Amino acid sequence: MYNKKLVDNLTTGQSKLLSSRRRESFDFFQDLAQGDYERINLINYQFPEYSPYNKEYLKEKKGQAELLIKKMTDNLNNEEEILNYLDQFKDKKVEKGNQGLDPKYLAMAEAFYNTGLFIKVPKNVELKLPVEIFYQLDQENPVLIDNNLIVAEENSRLTVVIDYRMQDQNVEAFHNGLTRVIVKDNAVLNIVKVQRFNDQSDNFDSNISLVSNQGELNWIPIELGGKNSVTNNENTLMDDGSRASISSVYFADGDRKMDLGFKMNHQGRHSSSEIESKGVLKDRAQKVFRGDLYFQKGASQANGSEKEEVLLLDKTVDSDSIPALFSEEDNVEGEHAVSAGQIDEQRLFYLMSRGMTKAEAKQLMVEAAFNPIFDKIPLNDLKGSVINDVKTRIRS
Amino acid sequence: MSEKTEVNDIDRSLHEEKNVEKHRYKSAKGLTPEVIKEISREKNEPEWMLEFRLKALEIYKEKEVPTWGADISDLDMDNIITYVRPDADLQSDWDQVPEEIKDTFDALGIPEAEKESLAGVGAQYDSEVVYHNLKEEMVEQGVVYMDMENAVKQHEDLVKQHFMKLITPNDHKFSALHGAVWSGGSFVYVPAGVDVNIPLQSYFRQNAPGSGQFEHTLIILEEGANAHFIEGCSAPKYSVNNLHAGAVELFINKGAKLRYSTIENWSRNMYNLNTKRALVEEDGVIEWVSGSFGSKVSMLYPMSILKGARARAEFTGVTFAAEGQYLDTGAQVIHDAPDTTSTVNSRSIAKDGGHAYYRGLLKVTKNAHGAKASVSCESLMLDNESKSDTLPIMKLQTDDIDIGHEAKVGRISEEAVFYLMSRGISEEEAKAMIVRGFVEPIASELPLEYAVELNNLINLELEGTIG
Repeated sequence: MYNKKLVDNLTTGQSKLLSSRRRESFDFFQDLAQGDYERINLINYQFPEYSPYNKEYLKEKKGQAELLIKKMTDNLNNEEEILNYLDQFKDKKVEKGNQGLDPKYLAMAEAFYNTGLFIKVPKNVELKLPVEIFYQLDQENPVLIDNNLIVAEENSRLTVVIDYRMQDQNVEAFHNGLTRVIVKDNAVLNIVKVQRFNDQSDNFDSNISLVSNQGELNWIPIELGGKNSVTNNENTLMDDGSRASISSVYFADGDRKMDLGFKMNHQGRHSSSEIESKGVLKDRAQKVFRGDLYFQKGASQANGSEKEEVLLLDKTVDSDSIPALFSEEDNVEGEHAVSAGQIDEQRLFYLMSRGMTKAEAKQLMVEAAFNPIFDKIPLNDLKGSVINDVKTRIRS
Repeated sequence: MSEKTEVNDIDRSLHEEKNVEKHRYKSAKGLTPEVIKEISREKNEPEWMLEFRLKALEIYKEKEVPTWGADISDLDMDNIITYVRPDADLQSDWDQVPEEIKDTFDALGIPEAEKESLAGVGAQYDSEVVYHNLKEEMVEQGVVYMDMENAVKQHEDLVKQHFMKLITPNDHKFSALHGAVWSGGSFVYVPAGVDVNIPLQSYFRQNAPGSGQFEHTLIILEEGANAHFIEGCSAPKYSVNNLHAGAVELFINKGAKLRYSTIENWSRNMYNLNTKRALVEEDGVIEWVSGSFGSKVSMLYPMSILKGARARAEFTGVTFAAEGQYLDTGAQVIHDAPDTTSTVNSRSIAKDGGHAYYRGLLKVTKNAHGAKASVSCESLMLDNESKSDTLPIMKLQTDDIDIGHEAKVGRISEEAVFYLMSRGISEEEAKAMIVRGFVEPIASELPLEYAVELNNLINLELEGTIG
């Protein structure tokens, strides 16, 4: 199914260099054995049958004229530029700790992507309005394989919101995405990703970034859906003063399984990073949190912090935390903290003494934990609907 | 930029006196069922033990060498002489211990320590216990403290019931190896309600080049008993890679309390692949105090299984990795009963290219509602040649629990040094104070009798040129 013929089909009408890149990835894909996600018991996973994604996913807006946005699947004329950017990711892999999604999934996304954008904000351009991308999977479009490249050139500023959602509760959809990000000197880039697939769907998502001198990258990944969701977010702080942050929220209920990886590779001096994760586990949900802070040699005066908070709402949940701190440099400050448990009894009691039911009080406590991160969603409609989703699900 | 603190290696000559080898018996290199049968015959063991050894050998041959953690590819198992018996019969009187063995022990201060406050001494020289003594009052109360070989014969039922039940040959390659070739070690039995108020100390060393040490420690505390066991290791240095694959099994029954202290100071060519486990019943307590200073490679993760309600585990550990050392250590705690509690406090120091790795596990099963656990790991890097890693894994399977974890890595705080200097303390002394303060949690947990070893291992090392 994911064979040469499909690659030939997909490269028809696509620009030359990107086509050859697809073919290279396919060769790689073919040779790779597929790995398992043992901690969430995802063994011998079979990719579902390929199908194209035919819906529009980019919301065109005024005021974005200065921005360069192209579909990766089109016949592009700026493809050399794209490949030059992509080549910067070569040999960036680090040996230690969490290695991200299984290489087979990455190769699959690069060989068989059916959507994807190249977004570039040029030098010195600051955009007030966020770029909105929305994928809505359904019966006709159950497979989404997106390959995105987002570049913030020097001194630029941009926010990108990617919303993955579904209305139909019965479709078994599949998403395997790859998003690569380059943040140049002094640029600031924010990326919000909201995942709300239905309980039948599987989600795989890799995010890889390179941050230069004084560049800043802020991720807001919000994971609410899917039957299985495996995501990874790896950032390399390459130069002096590179900064990255991840503010993650997840809500896993029912039989949902999540394996969420976050990684900060500190290479530059004075580089700084922050990982903050807040999550709730309910019913029989299972989650794995992997968070690495890696201070590579040369990253002197770097600092990194990592904080995970997880609320466990039922006896039947399963919560794994694998925080790691690797250091090859003495002049650094790194710390991580994990706290896990129930909602504080005393606070719950206080709220209930004020006339709230237990369910209401719990809901309020969860909202209080999540809202500081939800506030970072720049679109009010999206923020409102995310908050609503969480509310209904805590109560159920 | 301020100067970096110099922390020198301690003078190890005290611990590295080598005696000329003199053995009655030395098994052939390599591991075959014949070797195992010979070992068993030499020891006059019951038949079941021989069968156990042979079964373990089979498992050993099937198991793969672990690929995670330390690189142990230098270890040539075929060339490790697994059993070396020193030229001395078991002695109950110190005067009868051969001179040269005594010399080495004397240098380590064992007889004095015994005179002072130790209830018993089981000193292992090479693979077998050569000296054993237990204060009489303890014997009267029914306390048993003897070498493992004799325990197999004299307390056969107790041993058969517990031996390698907590750590089985199936666990990993080195536990299988241990099951096949174990030799020496201590057996402690404390009857219900008895409080052994003076620490029991065992001291073992390795002496023959290329010899492995596979001592087995089995401690059983009956209901409400209380004991403190101290294990210390120091081995002379040789050029051939040495392997230590011991096993420690601790059974702590209802309401009993055991403190297990270890100061590990193997010479820097040793592969220390030790396995330690404690099973704690209702209201029981296990306290681990662990200092890892020596060896070339260590992979050591003491495990506490909290099986009974309200059982408690505490782990306090310091790891000091200097030049050429890779010390991969950490605590494992499994909460498998309601209202169990655990505290893990680990400190590690890396200097001169040493690599300290904390690798821990905290597991809370669905039976453990009301469990509370806290894990705290701090690492101090003394230079940027060294490496320090922390990987505390947590697996939680119920909701009504309270789990906290913290980890930090960094170097000596300049603000703290500045503050102390503003109080009139020299920079050197300020830094020394901070490093000493860093290892204080374990230093304060160790018994005074251990001053000889402790002074050599911590204070001398830290005070060395800083002070």
